[in-house]
Amino acid sequence: MEPDQIFHSIADVDGLKRAQYTPDDRGKYVLDTHPSWPETVVNGMMVSDIRARIEEAREAVLAGKKSPLYYHMARRQMTPAILARAAGIASFRVKRHLRPEIFSRLKTSVLDRYANALAVTREELKTLPNS
Amino acid sequence: MTTEHTATGKPYVHYHAAHCESGVTSAFFRDKGVDISEPMVFGIGSGIFFGYLPFLKAAGMRVSTFRSQPGAIFRKVARRLDGDFVVKTYRNPQKGMDELRRVLKTGQIVGLKTNLYWLPYFSERFRFNFSGHNLIVLRETKEGFRISDPTLEHPVDCPAADLERARFARGPMESHGYMYYLKSVNPHPDLRQACIKGMIDSCNLMLRIPLPIFGIRGIRFQARKIIDSPDKLGFNEACRLLADVIRWLEDTGTGGAGFRYMYAAFLQEAAELLRSAELAGLSEEMTAIGHDWRKFSLAATRIIKQRKQFEQTFAEAGGLMHGCADREEKFFKNLRKVAGKMKV
Repeated sequence: MEPDQIFHSIADVDGLKRAQYTPDDRGKYVLDTHPSWPETVVNGMMVSDIRARIEEAREAVLAGKKSPLYYHMARRQMTPAILARAAGIASFRVKRHLRPEIFSRLKTSVLDRYANALAVTREELKTLPNS
Repeated sequence: MTTEHTATGKPYVHYHAAHCESGVTSAFFRDKGVDISEPMVFGIGSGIFFGYLPFLKAAGMRVSTFRSQPGAIFRKVARRLDGDFVVKTYRNPQKGMDELRRVLKTGQIVGLKTNLYWLPYFSERFRFNFSGHNLIVLRETKEGFRISDPTLEHPVDCPAADLERARFARGPMESHGYMYYLKSVNPHPDLRQACIKGMIDSCNLMLRIPLPIFGIRGIRFQARKIIDSPDKLGFNEACRLLADVIRWLEDTGTGGAGFRYMYAAFLQEAAELLRSAELAGLSEEMTAIGHDWRKFSLAATRIIKQRKQFEQTFAEAGGLMHGCADREEKFFKNLRKVAGKMKV
């Protein structure tokens, strides 16, 4: 799908409108809620980039290269550094926990910290959602 | 425009705005009876700016900002219009939420700095991991909080747990529950002098910072980078650089073409207020500069979308940006003269 189509597919559903300043017929500035074409394109690109990153993470987890933590981190648009601060765990440990064999041995107390930081339950954290 | 009410039943009018920070600041003053529009706040707070900061990334994009740093508009407007704000941050989220509830009960509206990703009333196209979104909380409701987000047309509801996450999200530019409210305000501020101060400050910011990444110099620097980019970075990476610029120009709540239209709207209001024909002329010039920036973003978007034409179009886009720099340099020099004459 083209980026501007992605933008419109979301914007048509949410109905949220952002404002722009445009001069009216007599040159007086008024608020206008029609998005400009460049805005729709770059916003759609950003959304599709993020979607692609999440999809990539899902595939890496399915292929057994990364732990489910990697997927949930990508879904929340976080990096290991941000997740480390949010969960209160050193970032080198977070990076280690992205490896499936190490993640599977984690204590529940550590899992709970991740679950809390990522706003998911402990069970959800260990699995991938379906879609 | 929608009328709402605060916890004590005081009416509050929600206005739609283009940018979060200027919209929130304007809402505070309007709530206290000083009728001041968003472009006016933007001009008085010297919002217009340019900075190219390739070493910084926000929500994954290289920063080229078209306005002054976050918080500056709010701070400068408070100072220039004699608004007495209470500003607080918290280490403990519980304390931050308790204090928010306490202040709301007194009928006060409260501004918060939040992370866009965790605000549930936004849809996917708004939700980026960026901790710098300002909004106003009106009152506590049964399900959570009633929120007047100036970038949206109508007030919305937000569950308390989500608001807490948004306030205390970790990562770059952490807000630490940053919260502010207007304690008292001068009911008849000297708008004329505030406008003039704002204009002179903007001219200095655009023309006189002796670093190559800010102001007019920054625009030229960025334009050169864009012209060189397909050779240095390769086509795909150059497109990404260009897309980042367009995002800052059109997509981050700028009111169109990198705040230039909003500034023209400010000059229009200021011209009426100060009865100055020169300012009205400058407002028209600013509109024309806005159109030039829009031309640049259209050209750049065309490069990104149809990947056939090569280097030539990058040079064209960079050339358009150089044109904007030349025009803005002349514009701010004129504005400096005009504002200097009016200063008392």
